[in-house]
Amino acid sequence: MTHLSADELVDALDDTLESGRQAHLDACESCRQQVVELEATLGATRDVAVPEPSPLYWEHLSRRVRTAIDAEPPTAGGGSRWLRWPVLAPIAALALLVMALAVSLPREAPIAPAVATNEAADTAVDDRFAVVADLVGDLDWDTAVSAGLIVSPGAADRAVLDLTALEQRELARLLQAELTRAKS
Amino acid sequence: MTHESAVRNAWTPAVATGWTVTVVEPDAPGTDGAISVEGMDDAALIAASMAGRRDAFDAIVERHRRTVYQVCYRFVGNHEDASDLSQESFVRAWRGLKTFKGQAALSTWLYRIAVNVCLNRVSVKTPPTDPIESTDHFEDTRVEGAQAALLREERAATVRKAIASLPKKQRATLILRTYHDLSHQQIADILGSSVGATKANFFHALANLKKLLGNEP
Ligand SMILES: [Zn+2]
Repeated sequence: MTHLSADELVDALDDTLESGRQAHLDACESCRQQVVELEATLGATRDVAVPEPSPLYWEHLSRRVRTAIDAEPPTAGGGSRWLRWPVLAPIAALALLVMALAVSLPREAPIAPAVATNEAADTAVDDRFAVVADLVGDLDWDTAVSAGLIVSPGAADRAVLDLTALEQRELARLLQAELTRAKS
Repeated sequence: MTHESAVRNAWTPAVATGWTVTVVEPDAPGTDGAISVEGMDDAALIAASMAGRRDAFDAIVERHRRTVYQVCYRFVGNHEDASDLSQESFVRAWRGLKTFKGQAALSTWLYRIAVNVCLNRVSVKTPPTDPIESTDHFEDTRVEGAQAALLREERAATVRKAIASLPKKQRATLILRTYHDLSHQQIADILGSSVGATKANFFHALANLKKLLGNEP
């Protein structure tokens, strides 16, 4: 039987050696010796800590990072320009408007299931949903949370962008109906 | 502190019931009214950093600077280079915030950046390692204790120097596996290699260390 390969010797160190190969290891003095030596080297290595810098060093490192980031071009890093707070606030207000619009609508009967399977109707619905998409743009969940848009209840949190296809259509339909009514 | 808007409405369309939409006015970054980053988890800190809050990124640095520094130190074996590489790692993290999708833990993502920064380091010569501290450091201990401590530190410096002289991928694998408890799979993901290659690198790293360290206990 062949001796343990490099991979298998590492598995032996990790105690994850496959049983057939473990049987070889148990019976093979040469492989056992290799594992013992690897364990000894690993033990001697593991004990070695990184010298602890001065307690003042950590704040110094933070300052260095801050200074280096300040020198970065404004387009780099977090907060791509349009996502900054002055821009986020109106977006939040806009999203609020969408929600307010929705809550002001009267209840209507559920959509007939046939709508979901009708391709032409789907396209029309997608167009209507584009109204919502235009309003909320690329607002993702994290951004929505950052912007202060929080949807409850708790564990069942769902954002407007997390709606099922049926829910999206219903929201689009409600909005479209409201917009039509506003125009007339 | 933020204030909840007066608007708090329930929306009950035909297909979704019982929703409540609450709008909380956001605060500008760096203002007194900003939500504190203290209690934020990594995901929230990332989101806030992407929204332009520098204090959130400062908090990320504060939370992970020791780990990143330690990876870098083990890679190069000296404080000065480790410090430069740590700074570079965080700057790259800042630049790459938009690419962080949350598919991995923030710490794993930072490991990946730090290791890549270390691997891409221009210098290929054997890095200088920090000198061993003198016995002055141990002046308050008994002479025997001081000597034992000095021996221990000499030994540690020898090991650190040996690690810093390993081929780069072996070095990265050994560091992440031995000191940061990453799985072979995580290391393979970071280095863009297979689990088999990672295990082979780990084996060769240990075999090379054994040679470099000779028969010392
Ligand atoms: Zn064997």
